[in-house]
Amino acid sequence: MFFHITLERNMQLHPRHFGPHLRDKLVAKLMKDVEGTCSGRHGFVVAITGVEDIGKGLIREGTGFVTFPVKYQAVVFRPFKGEILEAVVTMVNKMGFFAEAGPVQIFVSNHLIPDDMEFQSGDMPNYTTSDGSVKIQKDSEVRLKIIGTRVDATEIFCIGTIKDDFLGVINDPGVTA
Amino acid sequence: MADKGGKGSAFPGGNDLGSLKGKSAAALKESHVEIELSDSDGEGFIETPLPSSKGKSSAEAKSGKKRVSFSSLKTSGDLGKSSNVGKAGGKGSLPQATPLEPLIAETQLKLELELPKGARLLMDCEAAEVLQDIHEHMTVLSQDPKIKMPESFSKAFQYSKVNDHYNNAKAVRQPFSIGPLTQVSRTLKLNAVTDGEICLMGNVCPENVDEVYALIPSLKGNIEKNEVALKDAIASLAKFRTPK
Repeated sequence: MFFHITLERNMQLHPRHFGPHLRDKLVAKLMKDVEGTCSGRHGFVVAITGVEDIGKGLIREGTGFVTFPVKYQAVVFRPFKGEILEAVVTMVNKMGFFAEAGPVQIFVSNHLIPDDMEFQSGDMPNYTTSDGSVKIQKDSEVRLKIIGTRVDATEIFCIGTIKDDFLGVINDPGVTA
Repeated sequence: MADKGGKGSAFPGGNDLGSLKGKSAAALKESHVEIELSDSDGEGFIETPLPSSKGKSSAEAKSGKKRVSFSSLKTSGDLGKSSNVGKAGGKGSLPQATPLEPLIAETQLKLELELPKGARLLMDCEAAEVLQDIHEHMTVLSQDPKIKMPESFSKAFQYSKVNDHYNNAKAVRQPFSIGPLTQVSRTLKLNAVTDGEICLMGNVCPENVDEVYALIPSLKGNIEKNEVALKDAIASLAKFRTPK
């Protein structure tokens, strides 16, 4: 789920950037440093939407660098337990399948795929119902529920399920092709 | 989790290596049925996501508190055995076909609890609008063409666009409470429908109340109070829905 949040960061700037465009330099550096990062607490920082406040700079002894406390707003994406996501399948194997919802990777184990879907190996490995009416393969769109997340410093991994009502394939590329 | 895994259910015959190991390890001391239920080593594949909930799950299993999480789906304790979730998932292997429903039905959305302070949830359609603006003004914002948006931006932007089911994001907000309160949103708020649940509804774009209750089981607790309000909200959402 996306959310909007105010964050703070101490930015260090080299004195060569000082001048009338100091603020622009700081903002540019902030964007470069922060956007695309992932923290366990907040999730993926997708984009900075505004800079609320830049505090007074503090010269760091010995280096000449100046530290500015910057308060900014950002759009963040983070998956939550219990959340329903629509994801695109990226890989299928006998253990289950991987799907991607935005920047987040989700694994759906074969235990959490309905019992009537069997794994079929081949060029295009897939999970198919016995009557062949539903197929999950690469590029299929599935609606899944997040049942677990693991967060480390730079990545978030999720475990999902499609074994429940109103979950499963939304769009099967094999059918439309 | 490894310690719990010893007793735990979780992984079925589908994983040959796992079941073999499970058997050899457990066969020495447990009965046949126990062997099948136990599966100590087979879960290497998705074992990794568990550590964060390790403490909790064991503590809760002991205290008998039925909070459902991924850990309870795969760990042991009384929960795991009684529900047979792991086995049920197994393709053609042992015990009964499974009651996954009771577990999932107990799943509560903890969105608000996990949110950092001051965070405001955005529906996918709202995020799509915000990111679209940023995408258009990217060069102006950065004032440096060298700065490119990272991959996660493109992915998130793409995701929000694909999941934008509506033709008017601002209007979508109105039946809900995130923006200015309207009649419906007030009712939803009064009935303790959280922002997280509201946002999730907006993202899922449900067609009827059954779908809402199935996907967001935490709403079931207040079914008498919120059913009418939810129906109204769903009807309002349908007006803005983009035909697929």
